[in-house]
Amino acid sequence: MNTQVANKHTWAEPFKIKMVELLRMTTREQRVEAIQEAGYNTFLTRSRDVYIDLLTDSGTAAMSDRQWAGLMLGDEAYAGSENFYHLETVVRQFYGYKYLVPTHQGRGAENLMSQLLIKPGDHIPGNMYFTTTRLHQELAGGTFVDVIVDEAHDPESLFPFKGNVDLDKLDRLVREVGARRVPYLSLEGNVNMAGGQPFSMTNLKDLYSYCGKHDIPIMLDATRTIENAWFIREREDGYADVSISTILREICDLTDGCTMSAKKDALVNIGGFFACNDEELYAKAQNLAVVYEGLHTYGGLAGRDMEAMAQGIREAISEEHQSARVGQVRYLGEKLESAGIPIVKPIGSHAICIDAKRFLPHVDQDDYPAQALAAELYIESGIRSMERGNVSAGRDPKTGKNRRPALELVRLTIPRRVYTQAHMDVVAESVIDVHKRRDDIRGLKMVHEPEYLRFFQARFEPIIWRTP
Amino acid sequence: MVEPIKLTTRDQRKQLIEAASYNPFLLRAEDVIIDLLTDSGTSAMSSDAWGALMRGDESYAGARSWYRFRDTVNDIFGFEQVIPTHQGRAAEHILFGVMVQPDSIVPNNTHFDTTRANIEFFGGNAMDLPCRESRDLGSEFPFKGNMDIAALEKLVASEGAEHIPIIMVTVTNNSGGGQPVSMANIREISRIARSAGIPFYIDACRFAENSHFIRRHEPGFENTAAIDIAREMFSYADGCTMSAKKDSFANIGGFLCTNDAELAQRERNILILTEGFPTYGGLAGRDLEVIAVGLREVLDEHYLDYRLLSTRYVVEHLRESGIPVVIPAGGHAVYLDARRFLPHLEPLQYPGQSLVVELYIEAGIRSVEIGTVMFGADPHTGEERPARLDLVRLAIPRRVYTQSHMDYVLEGINLVWERRSDIRGMHIVQAPQFLRHFTAKFDWVRDETESRYKTSMEEA
Repeated sequence: MNTQVANKHTWAEPFKIKMVELLRMTTREQRVEAIQEAGYNTFLTRSRDVYIDLLTDSGTAAMSDRQWAGLMLGDEAYAGSENFYHLETVVRQFYGYKYLVPTHQGRGAENLMSQLLIKPGDHIPGNMYFTTTRLHQELAGGTFVDVIVDEAHDPESLFPFKGNVDLDKLDRLVREVGARRVPYLSLEGNVNMAGGQPFSMTNLKDLYSYCGKHDIPIMLDATRTIENAWFIREREDGYADVSISTILREICDLTDGCTMSAKKDALVNIGGFFACNDEELYAKAQNLAVVYEGLHTYGGLAGRDMEAMAQGIREAISEEHQSARVGQVRYLGEKLESAGIPIVKPIGSHAICIDAKRFLPHVDQDDYPAQALAAELYIESGIRSMERGNVSAGRDPKTGKNRRPALELVRLTIPRRVYTQAHMDVVAESVIDVHKRRDDIRGLKMVHEPEYLRFFQARFEPIIWRTP
Repeated sequence: MVEPIKLTTRDQRKQLIEAASYNPFLLRAEDVIIDLLTDSGTSAMSSDAWGALMRGDESYAGARSWYRFRDTVNDIFGFEQVIPTHQGRAAEHILFGVMVQPDSIVPNNTHFDTTRANIEFFGGNAMDLPCRESRDLGSEFPFKGNMDIAALEKLVASEGAEHIPIIMVTVTNNSGGGQPVSMANIREISRIARSAGIPFYIDACRFAENSHFIRRHEPGFENTAAIDIAREMFSYADGCTMSAKKDSFANIGGFLCTNDAELAQRERNILILTEGFPTYGGLAGRDLEVIAVGLREVLDEHYLDYRLLSTRYVVEHLRESGIPVVIPAGGHAVYLDARRFLPHLEPLQYPGQSLVVELYIEAGIRSVEIGTVMFGADPHTGEERPARLDLVRLAIPRRVYTQSHMDYVLEGINLVWERRSDIRGMHIVQAPQFLRHFTAKFDWVRDETESRYKTSMEEA
């Protein structure tokens, strides 16, 4: 394994367990019943029926004792809470943006930014879509245009920076629609839908100079940018000895603002923010926040949650934390890989993504192989994972057809500081067991399809297998 | 558990409020001695609620905490569909987003600021139909929060279900002085709404306080428990919006209820976009737990007695000093009548805002204007017009301040009262389009009349 902090080869956590949450064991029969009731959608299962919950790393982190202490310091005044000023100081210190508007979570910030910056008919280039981000852009009248490098869509490519933007694709768009119809470039760190893949600093510097020339702001989705910084340090020339806090700051300095879901990097259960350097945009964001979120000094968050976020950012920026974080994910990934399970590579920071197309080659993409595999994994051992493929991608608004994305993935998302190595062993074992009986796994048909973000609430039924 | 209060001097407060552009919303909380800005999200939670907070299940989907929350809401409110939101205004935003069209009319006893703003945001017309008694500030009528039934009937007859997508009533009536709505009035509204086929929603923020007023003042309810009164109230409605930051002691949270499953599905589609997944709605699991505990605690008879009596304590003492205050005492706040307090100021000189500023300078008390600043800008024309009333609200956070704190507040108000004729009006320097009172900037009126109303500030 390459660069680890202080040349250590183990990745033992820089913390010990102080509070535990008991898990309930279920039988296979109970799980079969539970997944049927949930319409074969893991989002609709109850957490009490789940053994190891890898649905998401969003809001599921274990807070530290210091964060819990921060909760007790909540200043719940409606206006001007001390916790807001603390958070503002911390965001300025580590992310470097001048102005901060807290929001109740990341999509609250995306909603504000999309409404403030996008005009109907605009095109928003981005390094791969994210479900809520794209929908906010579309509802504001914009069209999302994917400008990520081609390698990102190839689960087998070992390219180290599959989160990079392809400047040719970006330039083609700008020439086609004109820079004036491109309100900003949406740049995500550790691209979630690509399996947690980072962009490189070199790529960002190129973007900075290109966008500067065309007067296009770069708005960062900062959700997992600290983890992105870790990969830059690990993989990019010249950064091996640079602290991740310096790298984070360098990233932010090359961008104009960000939306943030603090439920990921920042180790909290709720919270997010919008940040920027432009005073006028900030004033508008404050006013719109009042309509949707809450007064701009609490943004729909309890004071205690802002305090926990401020402390969480400090902890997230530590090298030891990120080393253990990435180490744990890599441990699971390497275990699966050595058993011949097809996964997205290189291994990302927050999740292992199983390539369902290769896992279930006999299931057509319109029979939702990833959704079916997630259901099977739950039945096998009570592990809850998430489909990130044809169901999540939704329908093309123009053709009305399934988008059939290149990546058809089951995401095993690892919550921060929650599960142990032994839990990861259970996960690996279960995936391997399902893999052994993969030929018996059938696809699903969708029987209920919501209008927006269908993956959250869609319901499915097994396809009856007809023997020819 | 206690939280220390930092004390400031009068000179410091003069500088601080000037730096905050004379808007108490822009003050830092630590520079406030007694914070009566709002009772929203400022309650002291109980040890039980803190205990429940520790067991929050933070699973993204189907958390145990969600089921505890949902079952409690079902039990008390009785609606089939429960949609959690990060706070009350988000519930309103989702409800009006699916119900309100441009030119819709939404009647209410009196719309609160965020309710009105959300309706106007979607192009609708937020119409206040307060009962006649509420206009007489000296009247002791116990249900001044009632809706004007004759006016509602007339409106429904002329506009019909076609233009009125929803009829609302706010319990208790916050903008109208925290006054309760009687069960009889709710029954009448429900009858009119149902016969016209219009959905009837209750803005339930202070439902427990309203229930207790009904028990104390409405014949036939003397021996009915608050929870049963609440259940009866909601049985007449088709849904409700709720800010859990009021009558459930939570620091964050809210929800939207309906009996209409198809409508709920459309609401959840928006919820997912702006709030969060339907089993957490933008709240941490621990917050769902806290709300479930708080909704039980708030219906305790002894708590409700204490709550209403401690508010009345302040009102009675003000009346004894001859200070103009809205009567009878409401549930969650004391409302000073700024027009009678500062009769030398025109409504467009924002007497409420002046009084708010003076109370802060005098004693470090933070209050809020509910009058021409909050409601004075016509949403369609932008024209500035006097609001129906100019009040200063001293909202009392639940279970936070003691009787000695209230004595300190009374003393502060009395000191301002003694020098009232020296107090000047204000003007707006800068304001946004929606909900301007949160972020607007003010300054003292400086014109030829200034010398007549020379303030103690400048003499000092």
